[in-house]
Amino acid sequence: MSHEYVPEIAIDRDGKKHEVQGWQGDFYGGKLGFWLFMLTEVMMFGAMFLTLTYYFTLHHQDFIDASSHLNRLLGGTNTVVLLFSALTMGLGLLKMRSGDVKGAKLMIWATILLALVFLGIKAVEWREEYTHGVFLGLDALQSGNEHSRPFGQILFYGMYFTMTGLHGFHIIIGIGLMLWLLKRINAGKVSTEHHILHFNIALYWDLVHLIWVFVFPYFYMIGAGNAH
Amino acid sequence: MHTNEHVNYQEQKGGYYKVLIGLLLLTTVTFIQPHMFLQSYTFVTQIMIGAIKAWLILMYYMHMKGETLIGWTVAFAVGLVVVFFAIVITDVGSFQFKTDSHITSQPHIEVNYHHEATEHEASQHDAGHTTSHEK
Amino acid sequence: MSKSYLEVGETHCAIGHPKSVFWQWMLTVDHKRIGLMYAAVILTFFAVGVLVALTIRIELFAPGAQILDGDTYNQAFTLHGVIMIFLFIIPGVPAVFGNIVMPLMIGAKDVSFPRLNWFTFWLYIFGAIVALTSLWTGGGFADTGWTFYAPYSLNTNTNVITTLVAAFILGMASILTGLNFLVTIHRLRAPGMDFFKMPLFVWGIYATAWIQLLATPVVGITLILALLEKVFGIGIFDPSKGGDPVLFEHLFWIYSHPAVYLMILPAFGIMSEIIPVFSRREVFGYRTIALSSASIAGIGYLVWGHHLFTSGMSDLAKTIFSFLTFFVAIPTGIKFYDWVATMYKGKIILSTPMLWALGTMITFVIGGLTGVTIAMIGADIHLQDTYYTVAHFHYAMLGGVVFLLFAGLHYWFPLMFGKMYNEKHAKIAFYLNFVGFNILWFPMFIAGYQGMPRRYFDYLPEFQIYHQISFFGALIFITGLIYMFTVLIKGIKNGTPSGANPWHATTLEWHLPSSPPPLENHTKVPYVDFRPYEYHHGEPVVKFDYKTMQRID
Repeated sequence: MSHEYVPEIAIDRDGKKHEVQGWQGDFYGGKLGFWLFMLTEVMMFGAMFLTLTYYFTLHHQDFIDASSHLNRLLGGTNTVVLLFSALTMGLGLLKMRSGDVKGAKLMIWATILLALVFLGIKAVEWREEYTHGVFLGLDALQSGNEHSRPFGQILFYGMYFTMTGLHGFHIIIGIGLMLWLLKRINAGKVSTEHHILHFNIALYWDLVHLIWVFVFPYFYMIGAGNAH
Repeated sequence: MHTNEHVNYQEQKGGYYKVLIGLLLLTTVTFIQPHMFLQSYTFVTQIMIGAIKAWLILMYYMHMKGETLIGWTVAFAVGLVVVFFAIVITDVGSFQFKTDSHITSQPHIEVNYHHEATEHEASQHDAGHTTSHEK
Repeated sequence: MSKSYLEVGETHCAIGHPKSVFWQWMLTVDHKRIGLMYAAVILTFFAVGVLVALTIRIELFAPGAQILDGDTYNQAFTLHGVIMIFLFIIPGVPAVFGNIVMPLMIGAKDVSFPRLNWFTFWLYIFGAIVALTSLWTGGGFADTGWTFYAPYSLNTNTNVITTLVAAFILGMASILTGLNFLVTIHRLRAPGMDFFKMPLFVWGIYATAWIQLLATPVVGITLILALLEKVFGIGIFDPSKGGDPVLFEHLFWIYSHPAVYLMILPAFGIMSEIIPVFSRREVFGYRTIALSSASIAGIGYLVWGHHLFTSGMSDLAKTIFSFLTFFVAIPTGIKFYDWVATMYKGKIILSTPMLWALGTMITFVIGGLTGVTIAMIGADIHLQDTYYTVAHFHYAMLGGVVFLLFAGLHYWFPLMFGKMYNEKHAKIAFYLNFVGFNILWFPMFIAGYQGMPRRYFDYLPEFQIYHQISFFGALIFITGLIYMFTVLIKGIKNGTPSGANPWHATTLEWHLPSSPPPLENHTKVPYVDFRPYEYHHGEPVVKFDYKTMQRID
């Protein structure tokens, strides 16, 4: 399957020639496939946001109370970090497409670095919440004991850890993908002429950013007006 | 973007920076909004700002401009999510048993986080002693 | 001439170029071989599911415990549901015929991502293994029913976690199959073949693929949330922490209701292939059939709530869902009228595939119309979770999807193996199945209407007669199944060579240079400037020179 692919020609009844699209080297097909994959992510996170909105409707005030206690400074910093990482990723792809492979690799490294910063800040944030007694499995988020929070808050924090956790998981996957991409670039498998892998990983990274664009206000900002 | 055509880095990078500035501005708006304007509609406003940011990212960072097929597929998926929201939230919004249900009228449990809460919030939780917790 | 795809050495592999026949099959990326492997695995699971169902029938032969106790009975019907739904019928038609036939129908050399296809197959196998390990590990197989309703699934001590993980993995496999097919249909159609020149089976697969792609992630994440609830106690769905089990049902049925259209749409596609070929007439209302597939898929997304009529939904939502559910009957009805109109004044040939298709028309109409009755809120309150519902969905699923799967198995059998089964015996097998099926399920409508609840291992004595008639029907049905598979296996072993186009069909998969097809399908890709089912006076219009694949009619 490694040999160079030569597209076939189909001939109609008037003798006109039509190029046949094969599955090999189909740039648009690869792009379409990856977009479709991203739609499944949209549906997944869509369903989680639906869950969140469902309980927001049932326990309105609890959600706002819980939200006002999240650390908006760290969350906001992470928003900006991701914003810049999306820029480096985009510029990296642009460099790749314009033929500057070395510059592209630098940009990918920069993106990985920013992703790690994001995870680091996230870890600090979770740790801080843990020390306040708010974490999955701790008494505050279980029912029927003296530390129990109201139902709405249990659900808010449950979803908060679930969704930021799954988002963080996507970041980790993204780092893995970028390292793999670097390996493929070094091996010469990804190049200016054949950059579908780079293109799709850039799309993936934008999707991860896109999810954060909604995760951030939904958790951190809905109770911002209630802060001290 | 249908083919692998060559691009000029210097010509195109400007677009990326412009979008970045736009996104940064919107992020700033996100932060000042709860203290500056539309305070009673914080949730809706925040989600709207998010939607604008998402639109910028989709169109420029993800190169969706000019993609008809991909554009329709994305619109279809997002439309489905919106319909799911409309139906399910309509359902739970017109929940008929709010006062009887265990999950919406929780028996109040003594909580120990009042030291973190403002006076305002604390008074609201005290109200929970006597009436339903539901707002 | 090139050798057939079944022969030793004739395959592309995902990794390397193995010499052994075994590894050539395990690593193959050829869509036809993958489809065949799916068929083998899926039909094996079907057999297991049938055996479990037989056990349930024996248990229900008389009131009180016969061979199972109550808890084991719960596990048995869960096992039956999980196997039949997740391992058999959801991959079912798309994985088998979507893989084998769809690329041939559009003149493609393979699917768009052949390696992904290979990976998907093994993901499916992995999911199946995970599902089956929960039989012997932990607290035994789940006893929740295949729907895993919260809060019971969160509290039971049986091994629900493993089953949830398995369902998630199987869902991933389903998503990737759909994704692959969507890109294939969009990108790899032969030149000249626009969407309205595609065979109707491809339309069915296309609509299905959209459901696989966009609905499956919803149930995927629901299962993940249920898992996290079980492991970390995040509170979602658990009423003791404020969660709402009704939300679980919403999210579960947002997928699982479109999933029934995911099952039936490609099966309808098979019907739309068989009816014109064996009536020797161009299909009536091609566009309406094609678009009704799309609209069933579309409306199908919006009707999940009719599963929640008795679960505590608001009256407003109930009314909306009941109203929307009726709409599904419209495109389905259009399809049926189109098929009947196709047969009108046709030169009908009652070969085995046609018999199966006609049998399905009867059983599915019963299944479909009883579905409309329980879409009404008032009737549903009475009939929900009774044998009436059980009989309804078995008429629709077994009598619709599975019967059409068998029809497709008979129809494309010469294509897959280049041989023909024994027609006479295959017809006997059909009649056994058809009669057995109706004796098995029809009494359940009556029992259910009189109040026999589903999923109970014991019942009042007045229902005994219905269960015993059912049991009698089950015996005939199973005999028919064994008979049918024996005929088919004998056909594979020593059937007579069939030639490339034994049915005088018109679609591209019958215009191959040899039968079974060679590795890379058509010798040359044809230019498609004709509609898929062109017959003139009972003869196919379009003819090809198989060397150049140019039209010579």
